[in-house]
Amino acid sequence: MAASRQGIAKVLCRLLPSISHPVRQYQSCLHRLPARTFPGLSGFQPPRHTLYQAVSLQGAAKARYTDRPWDYLESAEYIEKYGTNPVWAGYRRNHKGGIPPQKTRKTCIRGDKICGNPCPICRDPNVIVHHQNVKLLEQFISPHTGMVYDPTQTGVCMKQQKKLNKAINTAQDHGLLPIQIPYVDFSGEDYSNSHDAVGSTPPPPSLTSGNTWYKWYSELTPDQNEVAKVKKTYKAYLN
Amino acid sequence: MAALGAVRCLFRSYSRVKNAQRSHQMLVRCSVRTFCSGTQDNALSDHAKPQFTDPAVQDILTRITGLDLQKVFRPIKQELKPPTYKLMTDDQLEQERFIVVREPDGILRKASWEERDRLIQTYFPKGGRKITAPLIFMEENLKRVFSQDRHTDVLDLCLVQFEPDSSEYIRLHEATYEDLNKHGKYDLLRSTRHFGGMAWYLVNARRVDGLIVDMLKRELFQDAVSLVSLFHMVHPHSESAQEAASQQATGTNLLKIYSQKESQRSGFIDLALQAYEQTAAESAAA
Repeated sequence: MAASRQGIAKVLCRLLPSISHPVRQYQSCLHRLPARTFPGLSGFQPPRHTLYQAVSLQGAAKARYTDRPWDYLESAEYIEKYGTNPVWAGYRRNHKGGIPPQKTRKTCIRGDKICGNPCPICRDPNVIVHHQNVKLLEQFISPHTGMVYDPTQTGVCMKQQKKLNKAINTAQDHGLLPIQIPYVDFSGEDYSNSHDAVGSTPPPPSLTSGNTWYKWYSELTPDQNEVAKVKKTYKAYLN
Repeated sequence: MAALGAVRCLFRSYSRVKNAQRSHQMLVRCSVRTFCSGTQDNALSDHAKPQFTDPAVQDILTRITGLDLQKVFRPIKQELKPPTYKLMTDDQLEQERFIVVREPDGILRKASWEERDRLIQTYFPKGGRKITAPLIFMEENLKRVFSQDRHTDVLDLCLVQFEPDSSEYIRLHEATYEDLNKHGKYDLLRSTRHFGGMAWYLVNARRVDGLIVDMLKRELFQDAVSLVSLFHMVHPHSESAQEAASQQATGTNLLKIYSQKESQRSGFIDLALQAYEQTAAESAAA
């Protein structure tokens, strides 16, 4: 039963790349083989011929989109897979009980192992979180409030959510994403342009007049009365 | 009405530009915020030169800014949350501090403006301001943002980030106004708090032709007349100002004199004035 299902899956995988990603997860669950190529595993030869084909196709695609990740969102492959929906539409987390945990999983990919049911960003290696990939970032921001969606809503793992937050902040900093700017009130200010606290320090008066910084740096002549008093006190020890 | 108040509030901040030039001449001891090369006039020989904060100037600028309620009260994207109420105590107001810097070779000097702003932001952070300037103010990003017509965003961010009349503030405002003037996108700033500043900058730089043409295209004749009167107020020794003073001209005659004497695009202004007078005559006759 399982074998025939796998056979059908293999054929379908070759013919229709659009359903390859859920099929890939299924196969990965069964065979515990890496479903993504990683740079260290380029020479790996899995026993299944079709799995290797699927893997090499995706490996080439990943290399194609790493430089320009925003091209993927225009490609036919993306439109066929997602249409006009955001990347996270239709994803469902697997958890025990009716109430999902407050935090999504920490990460989907540990080393070369990908978990079962990876999150919307990890399951598609062409979806790359980059601060210039504005179309992707906009999918994770609410159009009404301008806030980033919670990971429990979108289903992304915490590692990808952190990367997403960082990329959104950089994009807003560069001006790629619109931002609501707080209003600054200038009503109570005084507008003097100079401030005593700022500027070149004027030289101290002693230096300008030619004296030393401290009086006792230069030659000191003691007071004669004081000298006489001291001499009188130590008269027995002098001479 | 709140927007008008806001517009008024910001106009006052631009007085620093004039004060800077005056204080630079008079107070040599205290250092003045240095600013980049300005295209503004340095002629301060005329003691009656009107300042940005003069009530007459402010009145004209508020009038030409206009008030498009749809633009002023447009909905913004913000988080849905119940309102918070904060009380300002004296402790929370910014305290005046002398900031001094000890160099490694022992010299104790007062901090420069940039260091002062950075340290004040570290110890008394202001909402929305960052310690390092946002990257949107770099050249390439500015160009891209200007091509997307987001000049108001740039100016708002500049207001949040920089102190009024600092070098970065002036540089950014000049860059924005130059870009707007080059492409004629004056309408982007109309009904915002920045329009008066832009008009003042252009009047001081004697480059108001584009703005007048834009006003005439949108049939804002009263605004154009007020702008020309402001120009004569600021440059009383120019030809058109003297001509207007001699003829005691008002209304569209001011525009005619301006287009003859001063403007480079006199043809367009004359045509527009003719069309306006025709329509006025027709409506008076009918």
